[in-house]
Amino acid sequence: MAVLMVPSSLRRYTQQQSRINLSVGSIEEVLKRFCDSSSELRNHLFSGSALRKFIVVCINGQDIRLLQGLQTPVTDADEIQIIASVAGG
Amino acid sequence: MMETDNATSLLAELTPGELHRFSRQIILPEFGIEAQRRLKSGSVLLVGLGGLGSPAALYLAAAGVGRIGLVDADVVEDTNLQRQVVHGQAMLGRLKNESAEARMRDLNPAVCIERHDVRLGIDNVLALVAQYDVVIDGSDNFPTRYLVNDACVKLGKPDVYGGVLRFDGQLSVFDARKGPCYRCLFPEPPPMELAPNCAEAGVLGVLPGVIGSLQATEAIKLLAGIGSPMIGRMLVYDGLDMSFNTLHIAKAHDCPVCSQAPNDIFLKETAMVCAAPVGQSISPGALQARLEAMDDLVIVDVRNPAEWLPGRIPGAIGWPRPELEQALHQTGAAPPLPRDRDIVLVCQSGMRSVSVIRAMVAAGYDPQRLYNLEQGMARWSGEVQIG
Repeated sequence: MAVLMVPSSLRRYTQQQSRINLSVGSIEEVLKRFCDSSSELRNHLFSGSALRKFIVVCINGQDIRLLQGLQTPVTDADEIQIIASVAGG
Repeated sequence: MMETDNATSLLAELTPGELHRFSRQIILPEFGIEAQRRLKSGSVLLVGLGGLGSPAALYLAAAGVGRIGLVDADVVEDTNLQRQVVHGQAMLGRLKNESAEARMRDLNPAVCIERHDVRLGIDNVLALVAQYDVVIDGSDNFPTRYLVNDACVKLGKPDVYGGVLRFDGQLSVFDARKGPCYRCLFPEPPPMELAPNCAEAGVLGVLPGVIGSLQATEAIKLLAGIGSPMIGRMLVYDGLDMSFNTLHIAKAHDCPVCSQAPNDIFLKETAMVCAAPVGQSISPGALQARLEAMDDLVIVDVRNPAEWLPGRIPGAIGWPRPELEQALHQTGAAPPLPRDRDIVLVCQSGMRSVSVIRAMVAAGYDPQRLYNLEQGMARWSGEVQIG
């Protein structure tokens, strides 16, 4: 199954799990499944149907904007990472 | 200076004392005397002398960077010392710049330290950035980060970026001449309620030590002209999992800043806004008046228990945000708070409480009866109950 890596700022939605295993076909499906548990989480990641502008999603270390965006295909061997901008210093 | 990479003769000479002091890095074949001379001839502007700026300041001074500018207007507080290791107990209440300067001079008396005891703003950022070869962004807020980025793009300077929160750290080098800028990656800041700072969300003390040291490494590499800078890449560090992932990031062709010619870039403040205000807000004075009038109110403090220790508004129920939101999500259970009374939500700065109000409205509470205490306990000057 593909692995979704969750930043610590979003782990309150995942019972503090840092990795979630999912079997899905695209990045959009990964994120939809991830947001199923919480409308607040969905609001955190999406504005309408677009990713918010402070969220970056990568697959195997590549920004999905360099690939096919939310339609980027996902296989069971893939690692997906959500990056939220942080300002702490 | 970096612009004079090939003009070795213009680089500062090293004294016998410097050759001895820096011998451990000079003997590195990839480094050598010339890289050390570049460091001595180079300059770094360090924005923020907090968690990230502390280790960066120490390592830049220790490494022999010739000139280091410090930008910070804050004073040292005891809650800083858990992670801001350039400061010490004896410096409590003194300017962070003054504290850092003293420690850096002790580490390397030859370094030229230029203090800018000001808050970085739209009126001074260009003049400050223009004076240095490399900028290290160790600031603690989004508006400053966007200003630093935009000024660096306009002036053609590398921005060594680091960001931390909770257990996560990020590192990159934004150099719009060769790769993406900060706005290519994150065009806009999060709305306020989704942008907690370290005071709100916490940060493991050692975490900025890791990222700030990596920022110093990148600045030293840039000045010395060695290695591969993190341009077009972002390092994402997870301190809980102890994982380091390198991500490849690209320049956005429609970037509002770096897609423009430098002369066409005009700096502007980046405002932090709420995505969509929900519920009501109440000023500290108005809340005080309602308390004095013995109005029927429920006050809920949604900070973490450790944050209650310095004081809570008398009578406030302590209910940390994660637990309260979990209770709101439990379907079929009785509502955790009364629906027929006015409820004032309180946190440290008024951001987490907005998020709780949003969750309460989603759970069916009347937004007309939910109040956010403006700027939270940070602005509350009324009575507090200790413990």
